[in-house]
Amino acid sequence: MRLSMRQSRKIKSVVTHILLVLWTIICLFPIYWVLITSFKYPIAVFQGPKYFPWIDFTPNLDAWKFLLTGPTSAGVYRSWINSAILATTSAAIAVMIGGMAGYALTRFRYYWAALKWKNNDIAFWIISQRMLPAVVVILPYMIMYRILGLIDTRPGMILAYTVFNLPFSVWILRDFFAGLPVDLEESALIDGASRFQAFRSIVLPLAAPGLIATFLFCLVFTWNDYLFALMLTFSRAATLPMFIAGEGTQSYGPQWWYLSALSLLSIAPMIVITTAVERYITRGLVVGAIK
Amino acid sequence: MSNANVEVVRSTKASTIPEVTSARDRGASIAFLTPTALLILLLSIFPLIFSLVLAFMSWDLSRLEGGIRFIGLKNFATLVADTRFWNTARNTVFFVVGAVGVQYVLGLGLATLLNQEIHFRRFFRVTFLIPMMLTPAAVGYVGRMLFNESMGPINDIIHHLGGPVIPWVSNSKMALPSLILLDTWEWVPFMTIVLLAGLQSLPPEVFECARVDGANEWDIFRHITLPMLAPVSITVILIRALEAFKLFDIVMVMTGGGPGTATETVTMYAYTVGMKNGNLGYASAIAYSLLIMVVLFSTIFLNSLRGRAAAVEG
Repeated sequence: MRLSMRQSRKIKSVVTHILLVLWTIICLFPIYWVLITSFKYPIAVFQGPKYFPWIDFTPNLDAWKFLLTGPTSAGVYRSWINSAILATTSAAIAVMIGGMAGYALTRFRYYWAALKWKNNDIAFWIISQRMLPAVVVILPYMIMYRILGLIDTRPGMILAYTVFNLPFSVWILRDFFAGLPVDLEESALIDGASRFQAFRSIVLPLAAPGLIATFLFCLVFTWNDYLFALMLTFSRAATLPMFIAGEGTQSYGPQWWYLSALSLLSIAPMIVITTAVERYITRGLVVGAIK
Repeated sequence: MSNANVEVVRSTKASTIPEVTSARDRGASIAFLTPTALLILLLSIFPLIFSLVLAFMSWDLSRLEGGIRFIGLKNFATLVADTRFWNTARNTVFFVVGAVGVQYVLGLGLATLLNQEIHFRRFFRVTFLIPMMLTPAAVGYVGRMLFNESMGPINDIIHHLGGPVIPWVSNSKMALPSLILLDTWEWVPFMTIVLLAGLQSLPPEVFECARVDGANEWDIFRHITLPMLAPVSITVILIRALEAFKLFDIVMVMTGGGPGTATETVTMYAYTVGMKNGNLGYASAIAYSLLIMVVLFSTIFLNSLRGRAAAVEG
């Protein structure tokens, strides 16, 4: 039997959609699993996997009550707030400082005679810092922070995360600025504006999508970091991933219902951000990787 | 803001950026770059050198006679003979090759699917993106639940389909592949999104010509799509590999390096030696060996590709 062109195209489309739905299930199932586990009684966990609330187990709010009002709740709130403050602040600073550097690298010609470095060499030097395994710099950080009294403090962590995010920020924003026309800022400069004024009032508004994308990425990187937090904090400035890992490896064994709820506190904001601003994230991702 | 205009500015990026002539711009060119340069020098380059110096020192906080002493290459000599280190290096390389390989193939497949005319495009794109945005520590924990051999859903589903009980994390041969699966879940999105953008940037005329000439889909994919996608492929593989070498978070939470040391990575070992045992000198040597591995890998990877490209062109 020979298939007509239309039939074979139809079959192809159906197969494509089946595969896409299959991958959608794979993407969402783990998240669904954490969600329902956070509403299970301990007994419902130990009896083996239960998949559907109200059908094979009775959902309840015990885990959430324990999480938000129980003996560990102070730690939960503190680490959540720490994560939020560190992520937003360091991302904002990284975008500000990195934006200036990214702009400068597209508008001014640099030449450092000692190493024969031009703009592209400087840009590569900056991004190469991001490629290094963080564990190489983390021990010196710990020693320096102990000496300077920055260990387990929010300012110390904001500083560390800013430097961690800076290379990525410069790299992406450089490309966004390179794509902006120079006419507008040049006419502003001719009208007597300073470089900084032109940058602030003309370039930054035009680059807003790039700034948002970069800010979001830095935010997510910081929110998700575990290594820096593990090495440089222990209580006052400890973040959510640290709290999760700490609770998850307790010797009394993982309390799944409680840890699921805890994990959701960490991943839910990221899911919201992703669904709300997928466009920006995708754009930032593509610019960062391809350009 | 015309398109041509944007193109002109883009082309200035390489080398034709105007020379700084006015005093005002000279000041600005320094002021704009200094904060970044200074932060990176002080908090990235300096720690890097500090770490290198430490690697040649004996500095053990757990010993009473402590203090810092220069011991030359002794840390590296210890490292070469350290079977636990070689085990972590093997685990890390196995993980990098396995995870990045699987993720590239899956990502390319999904990007190809998304690149067709499909319904609910935005829904699929958003959903496919989600895993890579999630906190690895939480993902590691989710993995621990899913892969649990008696209470997790994966073995349960396999059981219902008539399969055997798979020792995902208790078997030392299975634990690392399980981590690769979890990492794949999290990072296929990155491959998919960037490869999709790469596919969309290919000129459609080439494909139409090939189709007119009677080439089938597989030939087109093999002989046109893949070669034209090569630059993007190289980039995503390199970026993912550089990240995969740092493997730490999900292992710490999902297996804690176990069973035994079956899933211990280089970063974990450096952490254990430096933080838990307080042996800062040796930990720095371990960390630096990871840096050397990463640099070696990137160089070999890029050179072998360049060599192959030259052979094709020549």
